[in-house]
Amino acid sequence: MTARLFRPGVLLATFALVATACGGSNAPPSPSGAASSPSAVAREASVGPATVPPGGPVEIRWYCCLGGGEAPEQKAVEDKVVADFNAAHPNIHLTFEVVTYDQANGQLATELQSGNPPDIVGPVGIGGANAFHGKWLDLAPLIQKTNYDLSGFPSNVVDIYKLDEGQVGIPFAIYPSALFYRKGLFEEANLDEPPHKYGDKYTLDGQPLDWNYDTIRQVAKRLTVDKNNKDATQGGFDPKNIRQWGLELQRDDLRGLGAYFGSGSLVAADGKTAQIPNDWAAGWKFYYQSIWTDHISLTGPQFESKDINPEDYPFFAGNVAMSENFLWSTYGVGKLDDWDLAAVPSFNGRVTAAFNADTFRILKTTKHPDEAFEVLQYLLGDAAPDLLKAYGGFPARTAEQAAGIEALQSQFKNQVDWQVAVDGIQYADNPNFEAPMPAYNESLGLVGSGGKYLTEFGNKPGLDMDTEINKLRSDLQAIFDKAS
Amino acid sequence: MAAIGVQPLEALDRRAGGRRFFRRPSLGRSALARHEAKWGLIFLAPWIFGFFAFTLIPIIASLIFSLTNLSLEQTQPLRFVGLDNFVRMLGDHTTWDSLAVTFRFAAFNLPIAIVVPFVVALVLNSRYLRGTGLFRTLFFLPYVIPFVSGVLAWQGMLNLETGWVNEFLRMIGVQNPPNWLQDTTLIYPSLAFIGLWGIGAGVIVNLAGLKGIPTELYDAARIDGAGWWASLRNVTLPMMSPVIFYSLILGIVDVLQYFLVPLVLYNGTGEPGGSTLFFNLLLYKQAFNFQNYAYGATLAWLLFAITLAITLIVFRTSRRWVYYAGER
Repeated sequence: MTARLFRPGVLLATFALVATACGGSNAPPSPSGAASSPSAVAREASVGPATVPPGGPVEIRWYCCLGGGEAPEQKAVEDKVVADFNAAHPNIHLTFEVVTYDQANGQLATELQSGNPPDIVGPVGIGGANAFHGKWLDLAPLIQKTNYDLSGFPSNVVDIYKLDEGQVGIPFAIYPSALFYRKGLFEEANLDEPPHKYGDKYTLDGQPLDWNYDTIRQVAKRLTVDKNNKDATQGGFDPKNIRQWGLELQRDDLRGLGAYFGSGSLVAADGKTAQIPNDWAAGWKFYYQSIWTDHISLTGPQFESKDINPEDYPFFAGNVAMSENFLWSTYGVGKLDDWDLAAVPSFNGRVTAAFNADTFRILKTTKHPDEAFEVLQYLLGDAAPDLLKAYGGFPARTAEQAAGIEALQSQFKNQVDWQVAVDGIQYADNPNFEAPMPAYNESLGLVGSGGKYLTEFGNKPGLDMDTEINKLRSDLQAIFDKAS
Repeated sequence: MAAIGVQPLEALDRRAGGRRFFRRPSLGRSALARHEAKWGLIFLAPWIFGFFAFTLIPIIASLIFSLTNLSLEQTQPLRFVGLDNFVRMLGDHTTWDSLAVTFRFAAFNLPIAIVVPFVVALVLNSRYLRGTGLFRTLFFLPYVIPFVSGVLAWQGMLNLETGWVNEFLRMIGVQNPPNWLQDTTLIYPSLAFIGLWGIGAGVIVNLAGLKGIPTELYDAARIDGAGWWASLRNVTLPMMSPVIFYSLILGIVDVLQYFLVPLVLYNGTGEPGGSTLFFNLLLYKQAFNFQNYAYGATLAWLLFAITLAITLIVFRTSRRWVYYAGER
């Protein structure tokens, strides 16, 4: 080979190497192992229509994954859903864009700001969507225009998506709350199991009691056991050496924790004043007392310990008797063979079961709302069974819930009373605890997962909770003020 | 014989049989020179492209961002806001709080980060130590493990309830061992302790410096009656001063950009009690979590200015305490 030929070859190779080295983004590779560019993935996934109408099909972009959906096995289903849609709808060309969860929020924000937004986004939870409050299309006119039937969904769940922006979503996958508990630990402690029916009493020491947070506290104390097998009601109980805890509240998010005590929002009706709902304040105080006074819940260091809590939710490890959580948390209970679901306790005579839900939404910026709504109907309709199965979602559509229960039960050996979860839907919190807030991402830094105050409550005994709650309100107000 | 340095270039050329030893850059002078220059630029092009695309243009862009209201959450249109972000930054107590946190930690950690690798290198360089190769490997080994993994492992080891450190303290009779990672009085020692996990590179640099000190200097010192301490003070430290200076500069830059450990341990919340809200963490949160790119860029420029100022001051003082053997 002559030098004349060799040098350009070396040059090309050098360029190729440098381009490879410099071309990677911070985004992790797409789960499929294909090119990380979402559009590349999308184009690969889509299949051309059988017949192309004059002027060509309308391009609709489906953006995933603000709330999961990027796992390889999920993507395979999503690709098939897209291909099936394109095959049956020559007027629309649907493309699928995968951006992994950790990058999805930032990338969608960037696409919106740069004037290149997708049309449909999902699956996305209420909180994930509310980070983009004001950007969603009001579906009400399209629902009316197409006579889309909403009667198949629980009306209170449809209402959760009614915001100041309009009807921004139609229910798809829902995750009502329930009280997860271990039957074996109740039996061991000679206690009745918690009620499965909302409104039923709990019998403790022969006394029928309302199933509320006072009762659950008493029961949880009996189920909290130290290394000497003394429970938290007995003299000589050693709170420094607990081996089993009675109750674990939902501690992913202060708002969610509060929502089990009542619906509310951190923003007043004017949209700019920070407020702490009284029920939430009571819930946070209950939580704090559970950790530091009653010792029925794990402290922060215990929660952080991989020896005590190896799977991030202590109930999964088997050393917690009762745990309030969403239905999606069934993913982690498979190792236990004696768990079941019970009713969430009431507070001040009223039951509120914090609610999570995922759906698909259309962005206000779409140039083709009718076609986007056609795709949305498909995702919520024909494609829903496959997608729900792939996402592990419980169907929002009442008629499909029996099949959803069957699918859930097939994952476990022990018989679970799934009706409890279905009954919990009617107690869903509205306004949802993940309702919009000014400067959503920054506000979430105070109250969300791993947020400042949750960390503090779990780690610092002796706090004056009223002072802390006031501080939180002030901190939130400062963020709201900056945003306005 | 005339010194080579004062001979004309032509004389040197003649000695080399007409082949030139020294040639001034002659870009564009001849066809060959132009050809070589062209290929030189072509081979440099990837780097130049990378420098422009990933360094220079982002730097300029961040300066422009800092003068706008750019935010991914913004509801208002993008516009030029002059120095508003800088005014806001200077009036924001979080800026000063996070700077105070950074400087407090720097004052505690910097001496440790410089002294400990130096002392370890001294020990590894000792002729009395057996199995030096093994020890060198052991000290360097943690450096090759991803630091995030190391931080997570330390998080487990320093856990109040089940950490090995507290298990050990309980074993020797300490009834209430400390909450290392949640106690504001212990947090900086704990972070410095975690930082020691990655001193392998510093040890190697110091060891290389120590190996480079001519043994004649120690022999001469010994003949003059110097003991270990006098040799360290009068030979080792002056000869190592360029390495110490290098470590100091890198240490300053590192500590002003301290970020990873508090992000992993506390999710960037600044807990306990705001003691880990380091300036670089505040910058990261503003820019990437809260998507306030303009304000994040403004904070970045303040960090740059502070780092530059401190580095220049340290460079200025180096004339007084850094000894370069090759200098006249």
